[in-house]
Amino acid sequence: MENIYKVNDSKFKSIYISYNFTFETKKDEVSKNVITSLILSKGCNKYNTSKAIEEYLSSLYGTNFDINMEKIGDLYNIEFRLECVNKEFLPNKEDVLKPAIDFLYEIIYNPKVDNNKFDTIIFEREKSFILDKINKRKDEKLKYAVLKTEELLCEKEPFGTYIYGDINNAENVKLDDIYEMYTNLIEKSAITIIVSGNLNGYDNIHQYIDKVFEKKSNKVVLDKKSINVSEKNRTFLEDIKEVKEKIQTNQAVITLGMRVENLEDNDFYALNVYNSILGGTPSSKLFQNVREKESLAYTAKSRYYRFKGIFVIYAGIEEINYEKAKTVILEQIEDMKNCNISESELNSSKQSLISDLLEWKDSKISLAKLAYTNAVSGMSITIEELIDNMKKIQLEDVARVAKKVKIELIYLLGGENSEK
Amino acid sequence: MKNNIEITTNETLGETIHKKVLSNGLEVYICVRPGFTKKIGMFGTKYGSINNDFIDISNGKRVTMPDGIAHFLEHKLFEKEGENSLDLFSKEGISSNAYTSFDHTVYFFETIDKFKKGLEMLIELVKTPYFTVENVKKEQGIIGQEISMYEDDPNFNVYFNALRAMYINHPIRIDIAGTIESISKIDKDILYTCYNTFYNSNNMFIVIVGDVDVSDTISIIEDKLKLYEQNIKSEKVMKFGVVEPTNILQKKIEKDMGLFMPQLSIGYKLLPTKKNEIIKREVISDLISEMYFSKSSKFYETEYNKGAVSDDIDFVYEGTTDFSHIIISTMSSKLDIIQADIFKFIEELKSNEIDIKLFENTKRRKIGENIVESENSNNSYRRIIDSILNESKLYYDLEILSNITVEDIKDFLNTLEYSKAVISIVK
Repeated sequence: MENIYKVNDSKFKSIYISYNFTFETKKDEVSKNVITSLILSKGCNKYNTSKAIEEYLSSLYGTNFDINMEKIGDLYNIEFRLECVNKEFLPNKEDVLKPAIDFLYEIIYNPKVDNNKFDTIIFEREKSFILDKINKRKDEKLKYAVLKTEELLCEKEPFGTYIYGDINNAENVKLDDIYEMYTNLIEKSAITIIVSGNLNGYDNIHQYIDKVFEKKSNKVVLDKKSINVSEKNRTFLEDIKEVKEKIQTNQAVITLGMRVENLEDNDFYALNVYNSILGGTPSSKLFQNVREKESLAYTAKSRYYRFKGIFVIYAGIEEINYEKAKTVILEQIEDMKNCNISESELNSSKQSLISDLLEWKDSKISLAKLAYTNAVSGMSITIEELIDNMKKIQLEDVARVAKKVKIELIYLLGGENSEK
Repeated sequence: MKNNIEITTNETLGETIHKKVLSNGLEVYICVRPGFTKKIGMFGTKYGSINNDFIDISNGKRVTMPDGIAHFLEHKLFEKEGENSLDLFSKEGISSNAYTSFDHTVYFFETIDKFKKGLEMLIELVKTPYFTVENVKKEQGIIGQEISMYEDDPNFNVYFNALRAMYINHPIRIDIAGTIESISKIDKDILYTCYNTFYNSNNMFIVIVGDVDVSDTISIIEDKLKLYEQNIKSEKVMKFGVVEPTNILQKKIEKDMGLFMPQLSIGYKLLPTKKNEIIKREVISDLISEMYFSKSSKFYETEYNKGAVSDDIDFVYEGTTDFSHIIISTMSSKLDIIQADIFKFIEELKSNEIDIKLFENTKRRKIGENIVESENSNNSYRRIIDSILNESKLYYDLEILSNITVEDIKDFLNTLEYSKAVISIVK
């Protein structure tokens, strides 16, 4: 199989195995995907309950297993992941990696299915679990404000759907949909397998994975362009939209949604530097002005979404300070546009981004993530190359991308409790 | 011992910790992790939100401080004349931050390639307070927003309300950040009183984690500290505790936050224990959590099938020598059911025999987890700080884990009494 990638570093003691299904999704199918993969993770023919799964994993020296869902721009990825200890570090050099790989096979390819139907009790439970997840995202205000901004900004795009889908679609998922979804998942999505960590003593692990999974290989290859931001899915708003939402809370949250126009692949580095200068670090414009100078907030940050070409700015404020906070934030964006940026701001931002990249080397999971991103986007870029490219960014590069950043949304999550 | 450096190596985790007590009383720990790129430096004081009543080191008089002052001081120490240390670190591409807990405060930085610079800046940060009338006022606005943020956080509310229900006098019932009202009483003079009393070398520690040279690191620390030694008296701190009754304040506390998913914390108030028993209680509780409340437990499966839990159930021990409790927390749309079942289940556990196979399997899981977690540098410093605060030997937790018996688990479970339990609900 060609879709297996290895990262080996002997400073680690454990091994991370990541089995990914990546596919294009429609907004109304997100919940169906999630419920299907959750059902898989809760039991299979061989280990038929969560409890049986966890007991078995305990016997493999606490091998961790779970699933993780992620939006890669408008693509959707479901990751089955395992973390276990290299045999060298275990009593009697007991091997748990191969049993863990066999276990993964059972979970994904040998589910509890009867006459093309999954278990109805498990289905109902996981469905209500997902409905709860969707409903309770309002319980954490700052996070909710950021999610809501993503949704409002990308209303018509798959990315604009919450990772677990929306209530209406989740409620409409039927047991009969699940088997079809499952078949789609294993037959029609691109499979990428990453093994990362200390692989000493496992020279033939590639062959072993091949042997276990080969007959299930589906030969689906992603359109490499689909991971990079595709203009077809992008809707631009003409005017700045201002949205206010009431909620029971003490603190209000102000957010701004921004989109990059005419996004090109090589804008990636300059946009990251842009984000870092605007709101990525404690020396950023937002932190220094909204928090330190004006004393308006404790949290004031910006975030760049690489695979979507959008920014979200967020700050927790007192509601009466909304207009003032808005003015101060807009001034910072204007400053970026006018390239009112010092050499020191540029350099410290680059430094901080480079440190973050170097730190990936300390985490087998970050290294696996890089291998995955490379695989799905058809690249093979190294951390060193990322750093070299980051180092090359100059003020004029930041100025060039700053002119392409367009404000589309200003959102206020209001504090009912603060109205006196 | 070489140059008064005490060396502890842990073969399983592949780590070595070097400890040296400097002539001024400051404890320095260096955990060497070969091959890792990130280096962390931490400078801490055994002073946190519960230390509001103490002897002012400058005049020997007993003083009481407004709630939240340790945390306020943590924020303010970053402020320097005309500049902010957070910004200075950031300009060097070094990330830095700090946190305040019940019983300690730590300032730290993380770097890949500017370790010497970062360490010198960290020492300067902690050793050069600069408090003014204006900068104290400015911070009241920022911390006010931090307090509001916590007030909106359901996890924080359900947890603190459990503490408030359990404790009658102990300052653990007070928010670490204080209240908007209490921090309005803070001024620069009392900040200096707290600083001078608690930020002296006898009460402090430095922890370094990463692939660094031990003797170079000690030289950097000693050279930099020399510049500031004359500033402060280095004496043993006198703190006063309170007399805390063994009973609870109230059985139940409820708060309405308009949540979709209600949250529950059950607290069991326990008798405080000796320093070396604290880590043992932590290890035991961790095993209990895994054996009886995790997703692999029979209890979780039963509750899950009833639809009474949708997320994890955690069973966590917290304690120092003057407070001690268990908090069991979860979220559920059927709080009445899960709450009653937890109390019933704890009583069952106390009277039933412990399943040896389950116990051994869980120990096995913990051994593997400790190895995986040791890849994370944060885990190394957490273990060191835990050992500093509890005055226990390094890696004591691993030693306890390998020697623990079912009787230890049973004995501990028997200290949980329903009459000392409280219920905190946020919905």
